[in-house]
This record gives sequence, C-alpha cells and structure tokens, in this order.
Amino acid sequence: MSDELKTFLEGLDSLARECEACKGQAASLSELEEIRVEYLGRKGRLAQCMGALAKMPNEQKPEAGRKANEVKQIMTSLIDGWQADLVRAQDEARLKRFDPSMPGRKPWAGSLHPVTLVMDEVSEILVGLGFEHASGPEVENDWHNFEALNIPPEHPARDMQDTLYVSENIVLRTHTSPVQIRSMLAKKPPLAVICPGKVYRRDSDLTHTPMFHQIEGLLVDHNVSMSDLRGTLTAFVRQLFGQKTDVRFRPSFFPFTEPSAEADISCVMCGGEGRNKDGSTCRVCKGTGWVEILGCGMVDPNVFKAVGYDPEVYSGFAFGFGIERAAMLKYGIGDLRMFFENDARFLEQFA
Amino acid sequence: MLVSFNWLREFVPFEGEAQELGDRLTMLGLELESIDDPFEAVKDLVVGHVVECAKHPEAEKLSVCSVDVGDEVLDIVCGAPNIAKGQKVPVAKVGTVMPDGMKIKKAKLRGVKSLGMICSERELGFSEDHDGIWVLPENLTVGDRLVDALNLERTVLDFDITPNRADALSILGFARETALAFDLPLTLPELNLVEAGGNASDEISITIDDPALCPLYQTRIIRNVETRKSPDWMRFKLLAMGQRPISNIVDVTNFVMFELGQPLHSFDLDQIEKAAIRVAPAPDGMKFTTLDDVERTLTDRDLLIWDGGKPVGLAGVMGGANSEMTASSSNVLLEAAVFRPGTIRKTARRLSLPSEASYRFERGVDQVLNTFALNRAAQLMAETSDGKVTSGIAKSEPTPWQDRTHTYRHARCMKLLGLDLEPAFAKKVFVLEGCKVDDSNKEEWKVSSPSHRLDLEREVDLYEEVGRVHGLDRIPAVLPRVSKSLEGGNVTADTEYGFVRALKHWGMGAGLNEAINYSFVGDDDLDRLNLPAEGRVAIANPLSEDQNVMRTDIAPGLLNTLKNNLAQGNGHIRIFEVAKKFIADSESDTETAEQLRLGMLLYGSRHAADWPWPQEDVDYLDIKGHVEHLLDDHLKLKEPDCVLVQDHPYLQPCINVLVKGELVGFMGQIRPDIADFYHARKPVWLADMDAAKLWDMVREQKIRFTELPKFPPSRRDITVIGPATLPASAIRDAINEINVPLLESIHLVAEYAPEDASDERNLSFRLTYRHPKKTLKDKEVEKQHKMVLEELLKKLPVRI
Repeated sequence: MSDELKTFLEGLDSLARECEACKGQAASLSELEEIRVEYLGRKGRLAQCMGALAKMPNEQKPEAGRKANEVKQIMTSLIDGWQADLVRAQDEARLKRFDPSMPGRKPWAGSLHPVTLVMDEVSEILVGLGFEHASGPEVENDWHNFEALNIPPEHPARDMQDTLYVSENIVLRTHTSPVQIRSMLAKKPPLAVICPGKVYRRDSDLTHTPMFHQIEGLLVDHNVSMSDLRGTLTAFVRQLFGQKTDVRFRPSFFPFTEPSAEADISCVMCGGEGRNKDGSTCRVCKGTGWVEILGCGMVDPNVFKAVGYDPEVYSGFAFGFGIERAAMLKYGIGDLRMFFENDARFLEQFA
Repeated sequence: MLVSFNWLREFVPFEGEAQELGDRLTMLGLELESIDDPFEAVKDLVVGHVVECAKHPEAEKLSVCSVDVGDEVLDIVCGAPNIAKGQKVPVAKVGTVMPDGMKIKKAKLRGVKSLGMICSERELGFSEDHDGIWVLPENLTVGDRLVDALNLERTVLDFDITPNRADALSILGFARETALAFDLPLTLPELNLVEAGGNASDEISITIDDPALCPLYQTRIIRNVETRKSPDWMRFKLLAMGQRPISNIVDVTNFVMFELGQPLHSFDLDQIEKAAIRVAPAPDGMKFTTLDDVERTLTDRDLLIWDGGKPVGLAGVMGGANSEMTASSSNVLLEAAVFRPGTIRKTARRLSLPSEASYRFERGVDQVLNTFALNRAAQLMAETSDGKVTSGIAKSEPTPWQDRTHTYRHARCMKLLGLDLEPAFAKKVFVLEGCKVDDSNKEEWKVSSPSHRLDLEREVDLYEEVGRVHGLDRIPAVLPRVSKSLEGGNVTADTEYGFVRALKHWGMGAGLNEAINYSFVGDDDLDRLNLPAEGRVAIANPLSEDQNVMRTDIAPGLLNTLKNNLAQGNGHIRIFEVAKKFIADSESDTETAEQLRLGMLLYGSRHAADWPWPQEDVDYLDIKGHVEHLLDDHLKLKEPDCVLVQDHPYLQPCINVLVKGELVGFMGQIRPDIADFYHARKPVWLADMDAAKLWDMVREQKIRFTELPKFPPSRRDITVIGPATLPASAIRDAINEINVPLLESIHLVAEYAPEDASDERNLSFRLTYRHPKKTLKDKEVEKQHKMVLEELLKKLPVRI
C-alpha cells in the first residue's frame, strides 16, 4: 500500500470520526443541514477528499473508492439518524404543546321544530302501517269543513270547535278532517290516507293556541271494523310511546264518526299508575293513569253519502291526533305557547 | 253538567261511591271532569245558640252576645238588627275563612272583644238577603257543622256532555244512565197536582204559526201566588247545582229544568193581553226588551212568543221585560214548550245570550215528558206560593211526537264493531234504554227509540248503543290488512309532505333553526311592510287585532320571531320556516290561493361562536349562499340567476332569484326603517322562496350521472380591473359567451375593492381548461386563454 493511499484512507477515517464527533451539535434541522453540507455537500469535505482520488494511480482507485463510499454511507446514516432523532424530538415537543381541550371550530347547528319531529315520527309509523299522505287547504269552505262531515249549520256540534271565520261560508279549517272529504271525493275505496297539517280554533289560553297541528287517519274498505281501528291505534301508540303503552276506548261523540270514541293511553310519565314513585299524584295524568290522546270512530254513513260512497257497501274508520300534545308528552314541554314563540333557546334543543 | 249526588239517588238507589259512579259513566260516554263539594266555602261554620244578647255599652247599633257553639261559649259582637236571645245562628269561629276569603280574627269592637262572627245568608253565599243574620231552624243541634246540620249536599259530580246527549242534561237523564249501568230501578218523582177548577184552555188561546218551529206549546195557570223565598230544601238543591235561588216562582222553573231537563217560563198572566198566546217569528228589525232590560234588535229568523197585542218573550232564550213576574204579581202563566233546536241556537248565538234554557232547547227536549214537567212545576209552584192551579192545560200541539222506528241488523252491527255478542244482549240494551223492540224477523229487527233519546236517529246509532253498553274498551285489537292498490300509490317522497320534509331537513343541515309562526298576523304587520291591502284574507272574528288577517307574505312571522328573540337577548338568529301564505282568490272553491313558501332570515354573527372565528356579521353573501346552496347544491337546479329589482315594499336591496328564467323567489335586506321596529340594530337578511314552484321543478328533472374527467385540467387566473358598478356575473357571462370549447369553468377567487370608494375594483377569476380526450399542452392552453383575454377586453370596459 502506498503512503499516498494510506494517507487517503486515514483521511477518510478521520473524516468519519470527526463527523461522528458532531453528534448532538445540531440543535435544529437547519443546523444539521449545515453539517450535512459540510461533510456530504457538493463542495463538502468528503468531496474535497475525493478530489485526491482522481490523481491516484488506477490500481489504487478501487480500494480508495470503496473506502470513500463506505465513509459516505457511515456519515449519511449518522446524519440521517440524527435527523430522525431531531424530527422525533420536534414532534414530541409539538405534541406537548398540543392542547386537545381547545374548543372546536363548529359549524352552526340547525334544528327541526319539535312539532315537525313528532309529525315526522307519527307519519313514518303510519306510512309503515300502509297509509299514504294527503294534503288540503287550510282555508276551507263550510261544506268540506262541516257539512260533508255531518255537521249541519245550527248543529250544537259546531260548539265543539270554536271557529275562526273568513266569511259566512269560509273558515280556517278547525280540523284536518276536510282532507278526508277531499281524498274520498278524489278516489274510490280502498283508501288509506293520513292528513297532517295546521288547524285553527278560536281559543287561546294556557292549554289552547289558536293554531295547532293534527294528523288525521282514514281507512275505507269492505268490512272495516272497530277492532281494526283499535288494532291500528294500539300498534301506532306502542311504536310512538313504547311497547308497554295500553290503549283505552271511551265512548264519545264526533259528528263524522259513529260509534265515536276517545282513545286514552296509559300515562307515559307514571306508567299508568297515577302516582309517581314517591307516591305523589302524577302531574301529567292528574292521577287517573290515563292521558287523552286522540279521537276516533267508524266513519258516519252521512259522511259516506256526502262523498258518494255507499255506506251499505263500505265501512271505514278515522282518527285524529294532536301533535303538540304528543310533543309535550314526549319531550316534557309544560307550556304549549312555547311552540309558537320560536325562542332560539327552545328551538336549539331539538334535532 | 253538574249532578248532585244525593238528588240523583232520589231517582235511583245507587249505593256506591261517587267516584265509582263517575268512572262507570265515563266509560258509558259521560265523561267525569271532577267531583266537588259545593259548600266547601262554608264547611267550617257551626251552629250556635245565642244564650245572651245585650246592647253594646258604647254603640247603639251593636249587640254583645254570648253564643254557645257546643264546646264553648263565645262572646261575639253583632251589628245585625234582628239578633235576639234564643236564636240558632251560623257562627264563624276565629280562624274560619269566609267565602269571600276573609279570615275571622279576634277583634275588639268599641272596647268589647269579639271571638267570631254571626253570619247573614249573603255573607255565606246563600242569597242576597242581608237584612240581618240568618236565623236557623230551632231544631238544629248546637255545635254541629252547618253543612251537616242543614244536610247540605257535599258531593257534586261535574260531567262533560257531548252535544248528542241532550238526554243527559238533567238529574233524570243521569238517573237513567245510572240505572242502565248498574241494573237499578228508576223512580220518577210522584205527581200530586191539585187542580182548583176552571179550565185553562177556556182562559187562554194558543196559536202556533209555523208547526216546524214549535211542535208543542202548552201552559198552565196558577192564581193567587205569593212571591217569596223558596223552601230551604229547594234552595239548597239549587245552590248545590250552582244556581243562585231568586224566588219561589223562578226557583221552581229552574228546579224542574235541572230535575227533568225541560226549561219552563213564567209570565205574569195579568200582563198578557187578550188572553192569547201566539208563537210566530219577529218582523225583521223589530226592537224587543228582554227581562235583563236590554233592548235587542231582532231578525225574522228569531222566534217570538206574542200575546194578543205584543211580543212577550224571545222563544226558548229569554222572557220579555213587559211580562216578567214581579214581587207584586199574583197570577202565573206557566209555559212548557218544544222549539226547533236550530232556531233557538241561532237566536241565542246571534244575541250572545246563552242560558241554561237555550242550551237545552238547542240540543232538543223530550216532547213526551213535557206535560209531566209542566204539571210537576205547577204543583211545586202552588205548594211554595200558596197559589191555586186552574184545572186543565191550554195547549197547541200541531206536531205530536211519533216514535222513530229503525231497522237493526245484529250481524252487521257485530261486523262493524268487531264483536261477537248474543242478540239477546242487544235486545236487553235497547229495552233498558226505553226502546221498543220487534225481533220477529231475526235478521232485521224493528227498534223504536224513545222521545228522550233524540240521538237515536238511525240504525248505526243503535250499533253505538250496543258497543257503548258492552264497553267500547272491550273491543279486541286486530291489526287490519290495509288493502289498497299497489299501483299508483303515493310514495311519501313524491307528496307535498315529502318535499316539505326534504326542505326542512335541508334547513336543519344548513344550520338553520326551524320556526313555526301563526298563519295569521295583524293588518298592522302587513301595513308596516308596505304590503298591498288588496288580496288579504281577513278573519271575521279574530281573537285579537294582531291576529286578524292571514299572512300574505312569509316575512311578518319571521320578523316577529326575530323581535321576540332579540327581546330575550338572543343576538344571533338564523331561522327558516316552511309555510303557506294566503291570497284572496275568487276562482278558488275556498276563495283563497294558498302558496307554499320557504322563508329564511339571518341576523347577527356569521359564525356559531366567537372563537376561533372572526367577529363578522352576516351580509348579502350569506343569504345568497344559503339560496345557492339550496337551489344549486341541494335541489340540483341550475345555478340561479340573481337580478336586482327596484322598489320592493320592504327589501333594499331586493334581488330576484330565477332558475331557467323563472322566478323562484327573492331575497334582500329588510329596509332599516322597518328593521328598526323589530329592534334590529344590525342588517336583517331575508329570503323567500316559492316552495311549490321548486317542487314542480324538482319533479320535472332527473339527476343523471356525468362521467368523471379522465385527463388533468389546466388552470389560469386572470384579474379583471373594471368599473365597481360592473357585476361579477357580467364578466363571467361575457367569458361564457366567447366560444372557447376547452374552457370548463370560471370561478371568482378574489375581490379587491380599494377602501377609498374608488370607482374601480379588481376581480380575480380562475379559468379551468380541459380536453376530454387528452392532456392539454401549455401551448394549447395559452392559445385559448389569449383569445379569452382579447375578446373580454373587446366586450367590456375593463383592463386585465
């Protein structure tokens, strides 16, 4: 081995040692980059050493070249290792500063009105049972709202619903039942429709608002019985209020159904006990264990006559359900008027 | 309807608890509302005995009494002139709360202590009598509670009566239902009418002009009556029913009405001219003074009772002032009639004169029971007034009662109710209810319903009776198979409801809160927004002036919601509402066109929280962004066009929104002078979309998949310097008009408007070029882009 070669190889070794001695000297990636340039850059110290390689005799070049490569690899891996350490340290430092408790950048949260939510839920259940949606006008004429529903003028049944009038013949619909009439006029049986919507009464106090929401159901076919009505309503309220809910039928009167019934459900608050667990009287059912939830009955023959159905051939049932009442039960809302004040703090609670 | 429990038990021997009765009747369709004690207010009073009574040493008009109240003797100072030693009197001891809410305390009157109060009838709510203290019957036991000593009713059941159950508006009616429910015998009050001779039908002639308005009118004459206080038993019964006793003549008619359901009226016979009664309508516009001394203007649809010369009563509603019984009257003409229900109802409602009498007449009274009621009242009137009942009845009955007979098919009834009961059960129900049943034809019975059940008019009404008495609650629940055509069935998504639901879900997703406002507003609300007065649908009988018209625009409701929220301190409002507006339309069968709208209102902060967002208030681009998001991104309707319009009633600026050239809504800022009224200090942005039109458009279009591009785009930005008045859309449209096949899209990426209100602004657009079948080379793009720039400079007064 020539001295020349020896010196060259020793130079490389000491270069590698010097490089190794740089360990820990770079505090940042840019300082490390300076070290990399110093040793491995195009004009770096390894490159300078390599300048001597060109002048070397050919037979020594392979060994000199191999050594140079070896040193280059050593230094590269050293620097790469330090770089990885630095990156890791930086990441750790960044993670230490990361504050997961900072509040998030939220978009606005929208909401649906509780009336809409309950209406949707009720609709979905009834559609699942086979009913279809129908709709009709909110300003109605007397014939659709009253007369066709077997409520002639001067009949005391008109007192059951305090009516808002536009004129002698035009009213704000007092129930969604006129949609039944419009549906039956438009289509022959079999018919299974639900009519959700706004209704109006001339009544405003703690438990009444002049506008509220109803959903009406109507089924007409051959051989429809009151058992079918009870079955439908039982399935419906159990899906809405829970499988343990019981339905009670009480005889009542609606001009457009005969027989007519009020359907009560076992109180959702006290489970029909009438008393809370602490023994106090249940506020929701006032201790009776039952909550009045809807009116129903078998379609009156006079209604069928009004729409040209033959009451000897067809029978049917109808029921009407107050949405606000259900929403109050479902969400525990105590004051009916909140539904139409639209206080953002109220609206934002539902979704 | 109030039902005195003890009175009821005079008719039917029900031995159970009131609650049990109420619960059972509820399940028969007579809904119990509450059970109350009618004498709750006097329950603490006791019977006292005045053992000493001396003049007050300091006061002329006061007496100092020693009153034995059983367990003690109290010193009580009394100011009544009629107080005397030996009387039994009602005593309110110290601590008793009087009906008017006053609490009796220890007192000193002119130096003499007083430990209680001796009460008058008026103080206890028994009558208007306050001439002195109430002197009780001598046989009462000292120290007993007044309510026990007088055997006052302590239990009154309050029922909610549906309009079909006219038969349940009397104690008798409830007794019938109780007898039916508990299988008990029914006893009618015994009639002991003593007639004094003469013949009423000779003394009074009765004429009915129109039998349809009055099927029966009959009268009795009671002479030499003395008007005075009714006996206690009658007064206490009336009080228990919530009726204040007046005098024996008035009380008897009320008593029989409550007992039997038949309203009656007493005329002063001496005021009846020419001994004649005629039932005939009023002439249109006639004035008539009713016994409440109010002059009323009548129409020809009001039915009057006339004597030989003048009207003396408003049939079934109220008597006339000119013929009412007074303290000095001595002869009574007692009326019992049946009137056409609708006529009575119309008059009572038009004159706002609802009464216990008109309430019963308009639901229908029992024509067959009428004579019994007349006789019972005549008897009681004679007994309580020492009068004499003239023999006979003066009567006209142009339309005698005829039983109504209905077919009853048991099998069909069972099918409708979903029950399987023996025919014998149905028969028993009908018989117990007073029907006559002919079941000789097993398939089709003949059932005659009684005169007190006016609601049993048809076969189906009989079905209801069978169901009701068996118990509707015992009908089994069967889930029906809904048979309907599968063809042409409506899927919810295809209905108006489905579309509205989709809009609402969009609104929620877009971060808006759904509001529901009343459909009616006040005329003021519409006037304030300068909306036209024509086309409004006014409510004839509004609850208040701020709810007197259907909204012709969606904005008033949203603005009122804003106002309410600002008043509650809610400063950021982002609401939407899907609802109808209402415009008068003579073409419609409801005289109204109802238009479905989607309204949105934005106010206050743009972002949901103060941090980490910048503090910014919403502006035009926010409301427009919502509209674009709805139309373009959600409903997939083509990018909407926005056109500034002038002179909108309440928006400035106002921008019309068009899709394919059709107006689908508008948006803008509420004019500040209007916003001021709603206490809005920041800009209020509102959009009002025609939801019905959007539904039509959405139904017409089909969403089709577009192949994704296979080759990369090439993008170039340009900044256009132009007049500040030049809309961005003009630049975009101008570029679009240049025929550049490879230009795929143009987007605004930046706006720079110098703050010094310069006439110019810079708008930067990003143009995307793409070839569908190859990767574009720079040279190709440059060529196209150069053409765009050159053409744009030619088309518009801009620099690049």
